[in-house]
Amino acid sequence: MARMKFLCDSERCIECNGCVTACKNEHEVPWGVNRRRVVTLEDGVPGERSISVACMHCTDAPCAAVCPVDCFYTTDDGIVLHDKDLCIGCGYCFYACPFGAPQYPQKEAFGVRGKMDKCTFCAGGPQGKDNSDEEQQKYGKNRIAEGKLPLCAEMCATKALLAGDGDMVADIYRERVTKRSTRPQSWGWLTAYQEDV
Amino acid sequence: MTRIARRAAALLVLAALVTGCGVTVYEPGVYKGEKDPLLAMHAKPEHKAQLQERFTKGQAER
Repeated sequence: MARMKFLCDSERCIECNGCVTACKNEHEVPWGVNRRRVVTLEDGVPGERSISVACMHCTDAPCAAVCPVDCFYTTDDGIVLHDKDLCIGCGYCFYACPFGAPQYPQKEAFGVRGKMDKCTFCAGGPQGKDNSDEEQQKYGKNRIAEGKLPLCAEMCATKALLAGDGDMVADIYRERVTKRSTRPQSWGWLTAYQEDV
Repeated sequence: MTRIARRAAALLVLAALVTGCGVTVYEPGVYKGEKDPLLAMHAKPEHKAQLQERFTKGQAER
C-alpha cells in the first residue's frame, strides 16, 4: 500500500463547500478555525477554478522540520499528525506550510495563539485510546481507526476531492485526464509529495 | 546581607548535590510526545485492506 494522499480535481470542484461543512460538523471544529477551505482562483473570470485546500500531509513536511518542540509525527501511511500537549503555539509551522494549513483558535495580546489545529486526515491524535473523549475533544473524530476515510472526500458530491491510497487516487485521476484529453493539473502534488500524478 | 547571600549559595549547592545536576539532552527532530495507538493498527494488513475497500466503494468511479 502506498501512502495516503489528498487530490482535488479542479475541473470537477463546483465550490459547494460541502467538504468544509462536512469537516466542521464531523470534528466539531471551533469558530474561527477552518481545517479545510475552498479557494477560487481567478474568481469571476471565465475559466475560474476552485480547489479544496487543507493539510496535504506532505512527504517531507516543512511544519515538522521547523517545529521547535518536535510535536509532529508521521504514520506509516504518511499522515502527518501532531501532539497538542506539546504544541506551544509559536506559529512557525504556519509560516512554513505552503498550503496555510495550520490554524490557531485564539487571537490575544502578546501573540498568544493557543494550540495549533490542522487537518488530521480524520486520524485523530496521540491522546489515549482511539476515539476516546479526550482525543475527540482535542483532534476530532478518528475515522481511520474505524476503517473509514476522510469525510470531506467521502461527502464530495462531484468526487472532485479524493482521499486515500496515493496509487489508487492517481489511477482514478489519470483515467479522468485521459477521458477528458486535457493536461493533468494535480494542484499541490508536486509541492506536497515532490512528485506529479 | 552577605551572610544571607552566602547561605543561599550554600543551599543551592546542597540542593544541587542532593538532586544531582544532570542535564537532559533531547535529540532534535525526533517526536517527543505520547505514542499514538493508531500506529500499531496501521501496521496490520487487514486495516489497510479495509481502507482500500472503503476507497473503492466510496470514491472510485461508478
